[in-house]
Amino acid sequence: MIDFSSPKHRSKFGYMLLAPAVILMALIIIYPILLSVDISLQDVRIARVGGTQAPWTTKNYDWLINSEEFWNSIWVTARMVFFVGGTSLVIGLATALLVNQKFKGRALARLFVALPWAVPEVVATVIWAWMLDSSFGVINWLLLKAGFISEAIQFGSNATAAFFAVCFVMIWKGYPLVSIMLLAGLQSIPAEQYQAAKVDGASVWQRFFYVTLPNLAPVIGVTMVMTTLWVFRDFSIIYVLTQGGPIGATTTLSMLTFEQAFSFFRMGQGAAVGVVTMIICAIISRALVGRFAKSVH
Amino acid sequence: MATIDFKNVQKRYGQFKAIHDFNLHVGEGELCVFVGPSGCGKSTILKMLAGLEETTSGSIEIGGRDVTDLGPGKRDIAMVFQNYALYPHMSVRSNIGFGLKMRGVPKADIDKAVNEAAEILELTDYLDRRPRALSGGQRQRVALGRAIVREPSAFLMDEPLSNLDAKLRTQTRSEIVKLQKRLGVTTIYVTHDQVEALTMATRIVVMRGGVIQQVGSPDELFSQPANLFVAGFIGSPGMNFFRGPVEIENGKAFTRFGEQRIPLGQVPQKLTAKEAIFGIRPEHLQVGETGVPVTLSLVESLGTEKILHFATPKGQETDAIETEIVSDEDARDKKTMLARVIDDRRYHDGETIRIALPEGKVHIFDTVTHEAIV
Ligand SMILES: Nc1ncnc2c1ncn2[C@@H]1O[C@H](COP(=O)(O)OP(=O)(O)OP(=O)(O)O)[C@@H](O)[C@H]1O
Ligand SMILES: [Mg+2]
Repeated sequence: MIDFSSPKHRSKFGYMLLAPAVILMALIIIYPILLSVDISLQDVRIARVGGTQAPWTTKNYDWLINSEEFWNSIWVTARMVFFVGGTSLVIGLATALLVNQKFKGRALARLFVALPWAVPEVVATVIWAWMLDSSFGVINWLLLKAGFISEAIQFGSNATAAFFAVCFVMIWKGYPLVSIMLLAGLQSIPAEQYQAAKVDGASVWQRFFYVTLPNLAPVIGVTMVMTTLWVFRDFSIIYVLTQGGPIGATTTLSMLTFEQAFSFFRMGQGAAVGVVTMIICAIISRALVGRFAKSVH
Repeated sequence: MATIDFKNVQKRYGQFKAIHDFNLHVGEGELCVFVGPSGCGKSTILKMLAGLEETTSGSIEIGGRDVTDLGPGKRDIAMVFQNYALYPHMSVRSNIGFGLKMRGVPKADIDKAVNEAAEILELTDYLDRRPRALSGGQRQRVALGRAIVREPSAFLMDEPLSNLDAKLRTQTRSEIVKLQKRLGVTTIYVTHDQVEALTMATRIVVMRGGVIQQVGSPDELFSQPANLFVAGFIGSPGMNFFRGPVEIENGKAFTRFGEQRIPLGQVPQKLTAKEAIFGIRPEHLQVGETGVPVTLSLVESLGTEKILHFATPKGQETDAIETEIVSDEDARDKKTMLARVIDDRRYHDGETIRIALPEGKVHIFDTVTHEAIV
């Protein structure tokens, strides 16, 4: 019998306690990943688990490299990540700075800033889909009334309009999280640092630049990783608004995965897109997290 | 270098009056220490002087210039904070040079000034480190460096030593005094530690509840406290108090301590009451052959120095003024008196000794106003 309280064996006991959780996690996380890698290496249309295994081939990846759709969706995803990420950061930071000030009704303002985050994604998107509708949507009506446009914008068939409509809803849905995280970051900056900077003669902008931003850098990094991954993965907003159209203008990698696997029933190709997406996400988060973590230490 | 003047300065937070009518003149090159218990408004008055808090009424002048409505950056002052408030993402060099950079000083001049300051503070080897890679004492020196590099007309320091351990605190304390003497910059130093105040200050301002209690040199505060509060606050251990009757005979005043009659010397002019509160410092009590017999309840020995505890004579305790005396080093039982002796005699708990109260060392305070009667 091993005495687990002895210093020599203590760590073994820890591993033993961890083991069930680790094994469970491995099954839940690793298995689907392995499965999709496996499928991506088979030339199958509808994959059946437990059926006869098709021989491994790189056919799906060959298709990937040479397909215009794939490169288009990478391009769409990249633009969307930059646009949504950048805009959410700016709006999130601005609102966080705003509700970090002392003023009457601050609690209410904070609630309003966080509100879009609390609305379920599909519900929010359906509402926006109505509002953006070209014949009876309120957005077009407002723009027409105000005289900004002379005829209704066709969010369903105009590629640029569709792209920005999707981005807009993503930003609307995504900035509150950025704002909440940055607000938490702002509150953890010691007041004395601002006081010291004031005594040192720093102006408002200089204090923002030399005190606020550097102190927020780690939070900004983490938030950007989360937003990036969210845009990469998001499916419901695009699916409800545009189904990836028109002519692929809003087909991101996750839309492409879905299309290949469940619209065209080419699960092998869909899985290949999914695997590539996963690898890109892993690289991005590793790079960003490492980068910003370093800037603090 | 500059003088600093507070004229009828007040501060309110909503209904709460943090500072009542504060008037003070600080001379050029003085090291003026504000001392008082927690929450007495020391930091508030310092922040108002720095321009970090708005002044509710009254005016503040630095070097004869009214700065009441100027921003902190325009007052030509430097401040050292309790938790150093260094910028964690900048090197020591950038931290020290930050104030100059904000003022648009050319880079070459900043480098020169930073190197000089670093030399004075012995920080030269650490200039390229981040603050987190420094010890507490080194961080404090960086904060000082940030203050001296700008050559401001005044230094403001808010409890700069309270995050350091006891030994480093004593050491840094004398370093600050030396630095201040050498630079000759008018300095206001805030602390709640009366020992720090006594050892550093050229002048001490004792505050309580937003009101100045007494202003004076360390000696003055020690030998002529203006009221009960100052008497109990300054000195460690603080002054002993007991209630006693006032008896006057042939132009001489007396009181009683236990069974014994205590001579108080000439009758002070203002002494008219039948009763008063009397105070005597633990170091002025004399152990000897004559005097009042008391039984020691506790003997604390610090080598040759001993603190003897004994009960205040029955009926002479000062419970009524308990809240009045806030000695910071120990919440003292008000029914106990202390004597501080330095001799080679051995004392034990329970022993009965004789204690004498020498004439001229007994302070007299009004029972109602708690002001000193002289
Ligand atoms: N922003 C504020 N709003 C309301 N009251 C305040 C505010 N800042 C300080 N006070 C009050 O003003 C009084 C003086 O505070 P201050 O910080 O000056 O005390 P202090 O003497 O520096 O005490 P310490 O030794 O604990 O630092 C306290 O009673 C405090 O509660
Ligand atoms: Mg304070």
